[in-house]
Amino acid sequence: MKRLFTSAFLGALLLLVLGELGARVFFAQDISGRFEYGYSPDAGFDVRPDGTVQLFRAGGRRFHPQSFPRHRPPGTFRVFVIGDSVPRGPSFKGAYPYQLGAELKRHHIPAESVNMALAGYGARRCQVVLRKALEFEPSLIILHVNDSNKYEDEREYRRSQEFKSWHPRNWPMKIFIFRRLYEAKVEKVFWRLVPEQIRLKFAANDPDAQLAANPDQDEVKARIELARETTAASAALARARHVPLLIITQCRLMRDGPKSFHFEDQGLDALGRSLAGNGVYWLSMKDVFAGLPDPRPYFSDTGHLKKSGHLLMAQAITQMILQDEQQLGLTALRREKKDGGG
Amino acid sequence: MSFITWQYLLFLPLVLILYWQLPGRWRLVLLLIASYIFYACWDVRFLALVMTTTFVDYVCALSIEGKKTASPLVLVLALLPAAWLTSCSLFLPASHINLIIIGVAAALGLVFFTGHELIWRLAPEKRGRGFLVFSVVFCLSILGFFKYFGFFLDSARTMLEFLGLQTNRVLLNIILPVGISFYTFQSLGYVIDVYRGQSPACASLLTFATFDAFFPQMVAGPIERGRHLIPQLERTTAFAPEHLHDGLRLVLVGFFKKVFVADNCAILANYVFDPQTPLNGYWAVLGVVAFAFQIYGDFSGYTDIARGSAKLLGIDLVINFRFPYFARNPSDFWGRWHISLSTWFRDYLYIPLGGNRGTKWETVRNLAVTMLLAGLWHGANWIFVLWGAYHGTLLILYRVVPALRSLGDEKAPSYLQGVLAVALMWVLTLAGWAIFRSPNLQQLGVWLAALGHWQTSLALPWASSSIWLLIHIVPLILLQFLTWKYQDETNLSRLAWPVRGVIYALMILMIVSSTGHDIEFIYFQF
Repeated sequence: MKRLFTSAFLGALLLLVLGELGARVFFAQDISGRFEYGYSPDAGFDVRPDGTVQLFRAGGRRFHPQSFPRHRPPGTFRVFVIGDSVPRGPSFKGAYPYQLGAELKRHHIPAESVNMALAGYGARRCQVVLRKALEFEPSLIILHVNDSNKYEDEREYRRSQEFKSWHPRNWPMKIFIFRRLYEAKVEKVFWRLVPEQIRLKFAANDPDAQLAANPDQDEVKARIELARETTAASAALARARHVPLLIITQCRLMRDGPKSFHFEDQGLDALGRSLAGNGVYWLSMKDVFAGLPDPRPYFSDTGHLKKSGHLLMAQAITQMILQDEQQLGLTALRREKKDGGG
Repeated sequence: MSFITWQYLLFLPLVLILYWQLPGRWRLVLLLIASYIFYACWDVRFLALVMTTTFVDYVCALSIEGKKTASPLVLVLALLPAAWLTSCSLFLPASHINLIIIGVAAALGLVFFTGHELIWRLAPEKRGRGFLVFSVVFCLSILGFFKYFGFFLDSARTMLEFLGLQTNRVLLNIILPVGISFYTFQSLGYVIDVYRGQSPACASLLTFATFDAFFPQMVAGPIERGRHLIPQLERTTAFAPEHLHDGLRLVLVGFFKKVFVADNCAILANYVFDPQTPLNGYWAVLGVVAFAFQIYGDFSGYTDIARGSAKLLGIDLVINFRFPYFARNPSDFWGRWHISLSTWFRDYLYIPLGGNRGTKWETVRNLAVTMLLAGLWHGANWIFVLWGAYHGTLLILYRVVPALRSLGDEKAPSYLQGVLAVALMWVLTLAGWAIFRSPNLQQLGVWLAALGHWQTSLALPWASSSIWLLIHIVPLILLQFLTWKYQDETNLSRLAWPVRGVIYALMILMIVSSTGHDIEFIYFQF
């Protein structure tokens, strides 16, 4: 009696099963929250038994690896910066969250500034990070608001829902090695070989292209509105927990010619202004750079900053903190430090 | 329903489970229902056309053998497609089916019934030929209307306007029923075989309807012959593990060719042959190479999935592709590319025209006619006619020019000559694909002009895209080398099982990495 399946078929199956098991056993931490696509409340946060919290790259969250005590040390001004690739910066030390810590220390404020920014994160996923960050006793949360990641937020949300779905078309993608390979192909390694113009026009399986090319203006408007509502909800969330929130609104540097330029805020400044007050502060990135005779050397592209631009941002935030020292509780902190530290 | 949908991946196992549980003729009932469901997933209305072709050819084939189908039964069969449309109209909106469509179907049925009754009144010695002509005219008229009417109308209007005559614009929005060229040719081939005495007429309507609509190969081939497929349908085969082994292997290779090779090559080919694209020589070459692998992966991949699906049912379909890009001459190419169509044209057109039995001029004429019609078979567009003419010219040149004839000789002893012949044929095939892929003559001109401009500033950087192309065609070329020995593109049996296991696993990973393109099979439009 011949076997139903050939040795080769079973061998192939075994290889795939071993690959999947290997991935799940040896990369368990990396996989945690992987299929929630940024909507996992805990991915990337590891609360250790020794009382420290470690930030690591997992579940699609490419945090800069950092650690901090679970409970804020007495007298420490703890700042968490949440946002997208702009605050995440060109490098850990080159980004304004790190430089903010240094600036605050320069002003004799015992500060601890943690960079929780993640590339491609829009308002919805930033709120997920914010909810988790609120558990770790922050003195101030900086929420860097941008409008360019709403597509990614929606795409990743759709994926997270697809992954949970019972629909047969999603079954193969529940296998980790399949999903990773697919994503590597269409978003990372191989995909870069095809020029962007071709991907945008002809590549039907490029999710970014699909969303960016979406001509449905109603849907686009709805998405922007959702981002605004989510930011407002995030502000309300911080208020409810009595944690000061500083909203930084992103701007774009538009180069009109060899020497001329202008800034665009895409209506974000109006959003920041409308949310400010009652524990919520607002800083416009446009205001930080508009006063400079030539801000172009501070920008690496229309939105991202060079290290010098991040330093300017850190200085502007520091000034703002110093101005509102009392409301932000710095005076109380100094007292706390004095009492705690003797 | 397309092979590359999750619906098919559920549909096929369900059919298989039921099929192997059922006894004898119930399997045919299942296959027919499954085939009609498979086809109805595209457009339920066009099942009426499938039924019409089936009933006409079933009755005509029997009549050719002198077996008269009872007139009431013929009338019922003739009106069944109209009845089907009527029942569809209960569920579909009025814009999809209206009384005119139902009326046309009923009128066609009456033409069929009347024709049948009239031909039976002919003298017995004329009756067979009468039914053959009736079947050919009837089926080709349906094909001609749905596929070519708009094209010829448009061409006639253009010609009249060119001559300065005023025409009234008549806009016809005729939807091309998927697979119509395939099942019409398969059915016609069967009737001709019966007329020639090469195949017995199928007495069972159930068997013949299943033959005509057999879902694995109905919409894009391979075009089967009655004498090959009908006996297999009639035989009750016991399940054997080989069915599963061979079927799964074929399906896997087919998906690999379609999803990994063809769909990824399509991205570059679509870009190059888009009218908005700025081209230089590098991109022109890259685009046509990409298309060569796209169409090969697409069509041969479809055939492999079709053969695999049939094999899982214990049925063998004919091989449709055999390393076509290793052909040494045009005749060799057509013996390797879409074999079931080229042999169809050979047996039912080229040979009846006289083949190569007459003078050199007559052979040239026969080749030209056959290839022009083969080109037109691919679609109602002058570009396909030009493509057919191009291949016809190649066939003629290789026949009349001694140097080419000698170079392309398949029995040439020299290895170098073989390599040169394959290389030349490959280049000529690529030029043919440039014609085939161009949406119109103007775009073909753009592609040809680009070959004269090699400045890199004229277009996007091409180097990284050529790496993309290589990543997707090298695995296919390696597969071809591994299977060359058996002259069967899917046969990996000379490899040790662990190696085959690794190849299967890699294929699965490659397929998964490329899912989501949702690019339809090219040959569905034919």
